[in-house]
Amino acid sequence: MIGQDKLFSLFEKVVKGSKADETEVVFVGSNSGLTRFANSIIHQNVNEANAKILFRTVLGKKIGVASTNSLLLSDLKATLRNSFEIAKYQKENKHFPGLPEPKEYARVETYFPATAEFGPKDRARLVKKVFIRANKRKFTTAGAFATGDGEIAVFNTKGVRCYQPVTSASINIIAMSETSSGYSVGLSRKVEDIEVVSLADIAVEKAYVGKKPKPLAAGDYEVILEPAAVAALFEWINYIGFGSKGFNDKTSFLSDKIGQKLMDDAVTIYDDGNDPSAIAMPFDFEGVPKRKVYFIEKGIGKGVVFDRTSGNKAGVESTGHGLPANEQGQGAIGLNLIVEPGNKTREELIAGVKKGLLVTRFHYINGFIDTPKAVLTGMTRDGVYLIEEGQLKHGVKNLRFTDSMLRAFSHVIGISKDRQLIPSWWDSVGCIAAPNFHLSSFKFTGTTDF
Amino acid sequence: MKDSLKSVLDWLKGKGVDYADARYVRTESESCMVSDGIVETLSRDVNVGVGIRVIDRGAWGFAAVSSLKEADIKKAANKALQTARASATTVKEKVRLTETESFRDHYKSPCEIDPFAVPTDEKIGLLLEISDRLKSNPKIKTSEASMDFYKTNKIFCSTEGSEIEQDIIESGAGYMCVAYDGNEVQKRSYPNSHRGDFATRGYEFIQGMRLLDNVDRTREEAVALLTADNCPDTVTDIIICGSQMALQVHESCGHPTELDRVLGTEISLAGGSFMQLDGLNKLKYGSDIVNIFADATIPGALGSFGYDDEGVKAQRSPIIQEGIHVGYLTSRETAPVIGRKSNGTMRADGWNRLPLIRMTNINLEPGEWELDDLIVNTRDGIFFDMNKSWSIDDKRLNFQFGVECAWEIKNGKLGRMLKNPLYTGMTPEFWNSCDAICNRKHWKIWGVPNCGKGEPMQIARVAHGAAPTRFRKVKVGVSK
Repeated sequence: MIGQDKLFSLFEKVVKGSKADETEVVFVGSNSGLTRFANSIIHQNVNEANAKILFRTVLGKKIGVASTNSLLLSDLKATLRNSFEIAKYQKENKHFPGLPEPKEYARVETYFPATAEFGPKDRARLVKKVFIRANKRKFTTAGAFATGDGEIAVFNTKGVRCYQPVTSASINIIAMSETSSGYSVGLSRKVEDIEVVSLADIAVEKAYVGKKPKPLAAGDYEVILEPAAVAALFEWINYIGFGSKGFNDKTSFLSDKIGQKLMDDAVTIYDDGNDPSAIAMPFDFEGVPKRKVYFIEKGIGKGVVFDRTSGNKAGVESTGHGLPANEQGQGAIGLNLIVEPGNKTREELIAGVKKGLLVTRFHYINGFIDTPKAVLTGMTRDGVYLIEEGQLKHGVKNLRFTDSMLRAFSHVIGISKDRQLIPSWWDSVGCIAAPNFHLSSFKFTGTTDF
Repeated sequence: MKDSLKSVLDWLKGKGVDYADARYVRTESESCMVSDGIVETLSRDVNVGVGIRVIDRGAWGFAAVSSLKEADIKKAANKALQTARASATTVKEKVRLTETESFRDHYKSPCEIDPFAVPTDEKIGLLLEISDRLKSNPKIKTSEASMDFYKTNKIFCSTEGSEIEQDIIESGAGYMCVAYDGNEVQKRSYPNSHRGDFATRGYEFIQGMRLLDNVDRTREEAVALLTADNCPDTVTDIIICGSQMALQVHESCGHPTELDRVLGTEISLAGGSFMQLDGLNKLKYGSDIVNIFADATIPGALGSFGYDDEGVKAQRSPIIQEGIHVGYLTSRETAPVIGRKSNGTMRADGWNRLPLIRMTNINLEPGEWELDDLIVNTRDGIFFDMNKSWSIDDKRLNFQFGVECAWEIKNGKLGRMLKNPLYTGMTPEFWNSCDAICNRKHWKIWGVPNCGKGEPMQIARVAHGAAPTRFRKVKVGVSK
């Protein structure tokens, strides 16, 4: 950890004398470790110390972006010069409103020393407990346990000075019998919140209940979707629908549909980077404080997130969801999604199913099929079970779903009061706080052999 | 730099490690993207560091550091060593690497025009012209055109004596437009979706892409899709274009033949494989005309290199021959499991990542058909063109692909355009229904720049040679 004083003093030194109208420096540094296991041994065990320093140079409405991972003053100055040269050759971006002025952002505790100090030996000690729990059933396990710390700083020549030290810890566990598998996942800013043994037991129990799965015909089923399944769906829904790019391009299901009924009254989902119970991060990569943004409120389409440029294009203010300048072509995106809970327990939801399926998680979802209707396809994975008359009967072989999520989430019977934090599948940042959902209709369109 | 790497390896040897290697990687990249006539991204990045892999007490440890100071590299080496020792507490069998020759060599990918030396104005000017022409129909809501370039210098040294330097340049470009009529949204891309086509070549690759020649067709097809009929739900014969075949090979042959997946070591993220060890040399993966090779030696293809990231020389090796599964993609650690030597497919997404088994150029060998003859020979069917969506189960059996556009085939002629086309199947049944592959005239290597695998996530740039190919009795159109 370098610390904000040293970082900001270094950036002052680097930008001093720059001829640019405005300059922004974004710093993302990390020390991370990840212990990966399979066949109940640790087979990959990695550590990384890295940083990214990204300069955005502004000449009028021309923008140049250059980055480096070297903190040497000479390299930083060379990178700044590079961004200046790029800006000179750029065309004007009429939508760019300039860099932001400083604003107060929420103070959120996101750094916990015990997590920062958690090393490979500590991870190995807990991973061995996973092996022991699984071995009681003669099951093998696979998964990954990651811990690390980092610091994010945003500096600009208009006075923005944002700094946030962070820690994080996450684990995923798959327990496997010869015919089945079960899954569990944990995520927190504090490693002590990750209850590794309990999570191992959940994965093992799922694999045990799912042994010798029976085939089931594709069709329209009542479902209980567990938090990992719900999060995977909303991760894609977020990507195709809740960001500024799809909204402005008209490919989002929210384009021209704000104020319209899109899902069941029970569905409310929003982004809140200031909620300390999630993976909080109170400002974006432009140094704009994060606002709470409702996407769907009581089933009604409410809005999307914006950065400064996409917001200006749409005639609204930034909501504090800007990505680093080299990724802003993707528009703004929510990284802290929260689905509002219901009032039932998971067990009560299951008890309310006449005939349906309990889905642990989905695999390899794709949402580019028909984005205005939010059609997704994907496979179930690591535990899908038949429920009859409120009782789990047996595991079933995996199924493919293809369905409009606007349609599926218009058939909500119940939502659990408990939620779980689920990390993003494809990115190291981003998470979703998701409850269990009971839907009366979910379309499965294919089967597979296991 | 080589001296620093060798010095740290000497230090590790002194500590008694079983094996160690050190990789220095410096990657310079440039990304340009124009959207609706505005340059949304113009950025350059330099990323440099050293990664050290250690086997000690029969287990792996890895540490990577962005600082190039010798003291920091040594600190990382010690962290890799200590991490290996932590891993060793769970070892059942000690890691064993298959033998490989030690090399001292310098490989350079072919490059006639350094893309980083091409004036920025020229690159942006071309993208702006494409974007403007795509927008010339008022029904086009969005246009995007992009170029991406990478210049990588890497040095690999090992305790076995290898000292290998490689300089690789990668270039890619593409564009797409979205048509919108107030209700329907449709998209067309060129030369391929998902940021276009890529190769380990210089700017001459971009110049040869005929980008401007295809703008008008791309735009008008996007608009035509708005009023096209939906792809029917049926079972029919299909012909799949070359670029979509590339992704079909990628998902249903490339990934399931990665031996680390087969052995279960990628289960926590990407999954396993249906192509288990007992099926090697027995499994009838496809029909007799299906021949698939892994070939990292093709000059200029995106999955080509001189040596992989554990110092094994690039190779061509068979995966499927006359429909039979005969090979896997392997590493020095996994190859002994099938009694073979590594076929050189271990690559890392930079200095800060552990090498994994990755696809190289996984190519479906060309057949004998002319495309026109193949269409004439197809009584009723659908021609599928260019990927839009992809999904496959975690053992790579049940797949479903969506493409941007399709055309009905009636009595051997291409007919009406169809929108929202999907096809789905089970991998071995599907490949066994393959009865015609177009010839080398229609065969091309497609760069795939975004293959994800591993934890932490790594992105690899790979490629697939393919030609239009016909499959019989496939389920299509399941989007309703």
